[in-house]
Amino acid sequence: MKGVLNYIPGQTVLHRLDPRTKLILSLMICVASFLSGRVSFLIGLLALNLLLGAAGHVLPQVLRILKGMAKACAVMFILQVLFIQQGNPYFEVIGIRITDFGVRTAYMVVLRLLDATIPLSLMLMVTRLTDLSNALVVHWHLPYQYAFTITTALHFIPVFFSDMQVISEAQLARGVDFDTRNPFRRFALMAPLSVPLLVSSVKKTEQAAIAVELRGFNLRTRTSAYKVTRMAGADWAALALGAALIALSVLMNTL
Amino acid sequence: MIEMKDFSFRYASGKRNALNNLNLTIEDGDFVGIIGNSGAGKTTLTYAINGIVPHHYKGDFYGAVTVNGLDTVDSSPEQIAAHVGSVFQDVDAQMVASMVEDELLFGLENFSVPREEIEGRVAEALEQTGISALRHRDLDTLSGGQKQKVAIAAILALRPRIILLDEPTGELDPQSSEQIYSLLARLNREHGTTIIAVEQKIGLLCRYVKKLLVLEKGEVMLHGPVREVLESSGRMEESGIHVPRIVSLHKELSGLGLVHSSAPVSMDEAETMVREALQ
Ligand SMILES: Nc1ncnc2c1ncn2[C@@H]1O[C@H](COP(=O)(O)OP(=O)(O)OP(=O)(O)O)[C@@H](O)[C@H]1O
Ligand SMILES: [Mg+2]
Repeated sequence: MKGVLNYIPGQTVLHRLDPRTKLILSLMICVASFLSGRVSFLIGLLALNLLLGAAGHVLPQVLRILKGMAKACAVMFILQVLFIQQGNPYFEVIGIRITDFGVRTAYMVVLRLLDATIPLSLMLMVTRLTDLSNALVVHWHLPYQYAFTITTALHFIPVFFSDMQVISEAQLARGVDFDTRNPFRRFALMAPLSVPLLVSSVKKTEQAAIAVELRGFNLRTRTSAYKVTRMAGADWAALALGAALIALSVLMNTL
Repeated sequence: MIEMKDFSFRYASGKRNALNNLNLTIEDGDFVGIIGNSGAGKTTLTYAINGIVPHHYKGDFYGAVTVNGLDTVDSSPEQIAAHVGSVFQDVDAQMVASMVEDELLFGLENFSVPREEIEGRVAEALEQTGISALRHRDLDTLSGGQKQKVAIAAILALRPRIILLDEPTGELDPQSSEQIYSLLARLNREHGTTIIAVEQKIGLLCRYVKKLLVLEKGEVMLHGPVREVLESSGRMEESGIHVPRIVSLHKELSGLGLVHSSAPVSMDEAETMVREALQ
């Protein structure tokens, strides 16, 4: 998990776009990939995703995600090929037909999966969570308390995992092997650790709540934010690109 | 000024008073170190000052606590926070932002500090804590000592007259701990900020604070200038409270009749004491 969905500091055009733009654009890319029925378009979209990753100086991280998804994609591919029986068969083994339609659908599904996952993860890599929530509160009137709860929860996930890491290392030093392949045994080893960890997390959250209250959290309103982002030329251009992608995907389907 | 009159507090789920019958005054411009065994009530005392008791933790509250004239029972935690800034033990738990600058902005925004004043306050707080260079850094990339300075800067930006810290160096190495206390001492000296710090490392504390407050089972055992309190180091040791090593050394040496001066507080004084003993 660590390092994949984390924010990666930078000064690229993507980093400087308004958080709203990045959220909408990534959703637009997802929509375009779902609307499209053309393999060539989906491959083009994948290329665009990689291009965006390069523009945001996060290409290595994007490739890591692709690599991480390879297994899931392979499984999806095989399942689709085996289950879809319509179309012209290439060949048949023990009563299962491998058809042209099945293969085509299979790589469409895999491509769509990739095209839809990367934009969202890419967005999280080039956008500070606090900037995103601030923009949503200020401009889209998302209640601040909700936005804060969500960002704080996401903020605590890495803290929780690093605590877990510390504890399992301590247990490892005492000869407990967590790297067992058996998932049940693994769970049995981890479970007793989760209780003290949960207790300490709850204590941490309570202390966090108190600390935040004393810094005026309850006085905060929508208009409190000091930094207010504004849409600039680059933002409109990015949104136009997104709209064009959706239009193109629909257009290509009708050809 | 902080005043406690016949103040006792028992947590709703507590069997005995966490703090019992305190009569206590902390003057403006004081630098007070609070020590005591685990469970003595040090954290509860800080809660009583910043209003977490009784506003967040309910229980039986007797007597009165006033902070700069505000009765803590009648005032909201935010009203009290305008006078008292609190830095908590768990640095990570009190961070709300992902970037240093945003961490400082949080409180300023919440308390509706005028826009045109904000930039000046942020720059000044960063300057005072010596972390101006970290302004645009992500918090994840900072060391424990740097994070603690950010936590202090975030409070300083609000310009409270009193700063309250609960074991601010709990997770820091000796060098960073030393830095934090010299920073606090400078704020106290140059800006007259009242500073109250709970601390386990008594040797460290004695080198910086003006007064010591020793808590024992929810009551004040000793309270006064560092030197005076250390005169009674015997009572502290009996209760199992650590005293600085140079103070226990002084006790032994004066027991042997080798030194006649009062207990040393700084390393220089300790050196003088050892020289005296060797003569
Ligand atoms: N939330 C709570 N509910 C009930 N009792 C509590 C609560 N917090 C603390 N106490 C009790 O109040 C007493 C004083 O606790 P406090 O945390 O103030 O001690 P402390 O001096 O800060 O100790 P430490 O050095 O361990 O931090 C203890 O007996 C403790 O068990
Ligand atoms: Mg405590």
